[in-house]
Formats: sequence, C-alpha cells, structure tokens
Amino acid sequence: MNEESAAQTIVNGLKAAGIDFIATLPDINLARLLDEIEQDAAVTHVPLCREEEGIGICAGAYLVGRKCAALMQNGGFFNSNNAIVSTLLQYQIPLLLLIYYAGDIGDRTFATSGAMTEPVLRALGIRYYVMRQAGEAAEVIKRAQVLAEDSKRPVALLLTKEVLGLRSELASL
Amino acid sequence: MKRFDCLKALAAVAQDALIVSSAGATTLEWNGIRPGDGNFRVRTLGLCSSIALGMALGLPHRRVVALDGDGSLLMNLCSLPTIARMKPKNLLHVLFDNEVYEASGSKKTATAAGTDLVGVARAAGIEKARWAKSVEEFAQTVAEGMKSDGPHFIGAKVTTARTEVPPYPLDEVENKYRFIRHVEKTENIKIFQTNLPASYK
Repeated sequence: MNEESAAQTIVNGLKAAGIDFIATLPDINLARLLDEIEQDAAVTHVPLCREEEGIGICAGAYLVGRKCAALMQNGGFFNSNNAIVSTLLQYQIPLLLLIYYAGDIGDRTFATSGAMTEPVLRALGIRYYVMRQAGEAAEVIKRAQVLAEDSKRPVALLLTKEVLGLRSELASL
Repeated sequence: MKRFDCLKALAAVAQDALIVSSAGATTLEWNGIRPGDGNFRVRTLGLCSSIALGMALGLPHRRVVALDGDGSLLMNLCSLPTIARMKPKNLLHVLFDNEVYEASGSKKTATAAGTDLVGVARAAGIEKARWAKSVEEFAQTVAEGMKSDGPHFIGAKVTTARTEVPPYPLDEVENKYRFIRHVEKTENIKIFQTNLPASYK
C-alpha cells in the first residue's frame, strides 16, 4: 500500500469508528496522514503547539460528547505523560492515542525513544497494539476504540512505517 | 480586588455556561457560590484552558468559561496560540492572577516579576484580551463576554485573600459522570453508550 492509500485507510478507519475530533502535532512520517485529516470536512482538526495540551483538548471534547483521537510522535507521548496520568487515567476518560513509533526496529533515528515507548505504555497500564499491516488498520482502529470506550481508558496504537505505507511489510518480502 | 467578588459577578451572568476551573481555591470558591453538575474541576496544572477549549470546540453553541490561574496558564502558555488559531466564539477565558502558586505554598510566579499574561494572550492572537481593573469593570467585561463572540480573555489581578468555603463535594470520577449526565440532559444528547448482553441478540 502506498503512503496515500495508507493515509486514507487510517482516516476512513477513524471515521468508521465514530471518531470526528482529532488533535495532532506533525512528524515527517505523518505528513500524508495529516494532509488527509486536514482536508476532511467531517473531522474537527485541532493542530497543537505541544502534545500535552491535546490531551486536555480531547478530554474536554469527550466530556461534551465527542469521540476523539490524538496523533503524535512517541516524543509527544512522553511530553503528555502528566496529562495522561492526572486527567485521562484519574478521571477514567477514554482516548485513542495514535503514536508514530520513532526508533522502531530498522530506524536510524530516536533509538532511545523507541526503546522506552512500550515500557512506558506498560508502566501506565495503557493497552497498546503495534500496527504493522496497512490492510488491518481500519479494523484495529475500530477494536481499539471499543476497548477505549468500554475500559474508559486511553488505548495506544503504535504507527510503524509499514502501516503508513512508507516501508514494505515484512511478510511481503 | 478579591477573586471571590469577581466570581460572584460572574455567577450573576453565567446562566447555563459550562464552567471549567483550575484546581485550588478558585474551584472551591466557585463551588461555594454556584454549586452544580455543570462545573468541572481540573486536576492537571495547566490543562484548564485546554479542557475548556476542547469543550468549546466540541459543543460550539454552548458557552464555556475557563477559570484559570497564573501558575496554571504559565505552565501551558501554548494553549493561547491554539485558542487564537481555533477561534472558538463560545469561549470565555478568565485569568485570576495573584502572582503566586497559591495551592503550592504561595511561591511567586513569573507574573510577580512582570510577565503580562494579557499581553501574552494578545500577542498570541487573541484580540479580545484585556485586564479588568476593578470588580465593577470585571462584572461589565464578563457580562459582555457572555453575550458577544469570542474568544474572550479577561485578566484580573487579585489578592491572595481567601473566603471560607466548603470542601469540593466530588472526587474526579463522580465529577466526570455528573458533568457528562448534565451535558446529556441539558443538550438532549446521549454520550454514554451501553449494549445489550450477547444473549439478547
């Protein structure tokens, strides 16, 4: 799947899961996906200055009935930890966290961030799934949103280059 | 100027606005003046303005008021350019600036050394940002802010004088449920979804 169809698949998956409110901060690997979100008139898109404010913005939107997702790099997930703990977890507020997995195996940058991402998610008790196949993206998003709503907790989906259409899926090699 | 007097002036014009308040004395005093399920207490220092922005964007026809403090806003200054960028017409952002971290031992904040948060808000792009210099001016400015298109940012320099108030009656989770039920009822919408057990299908 190329970058453009991968981005469309993810946005269609989000909409099919009922999500219509997305807070974002750019990463070069998310550029095409961000274009897709920006162009979608059915989605309230909130471009952020720092990811932690996005956790608050999504929490507020949830409290008035919106279904939200926050899209960021794993560095932004680290930036957001106090808000995730003392707002999302403390108040039992669901939120789909779409986290670009910088420092994933094979990447040349951010190896330390890559090494800390899953351990920090586990330490916070946040259920997560590493997405490696573009074809499964829509269904994984739908299931993750069901889990977030039912558990009333954040759920994280780690976006790899494969699911963003930026690298071949291992199974296809 | 006492924060309590400003809050009384706000209560006179707040009607059905959703109120988001930064944890500490502001929340307790507001709850003492206008208790109710349309109040949401924020626990994460800094997030008051962002949670209020999310509500304002999520429910654009309903007035949302943020009751922020200087310590809180200084921690999340980037919420100001985001508010300016999103331009929510229904958001009224009130700043009570007492120049100290009141809930954390009253150490001085940067506003005590001259940082002008109304100036910061204006420079971030929020045109309707101004100081209210007396309780009367505050009352007049919030009344106008409740009626006209925002985003509004109203700063008030207040003393650290406290008023005797009851403790906050709810923990975080009950606050959330009551707030959401209040929104469901007053907006006539359904937010919580539940399913019948599988055996009913």
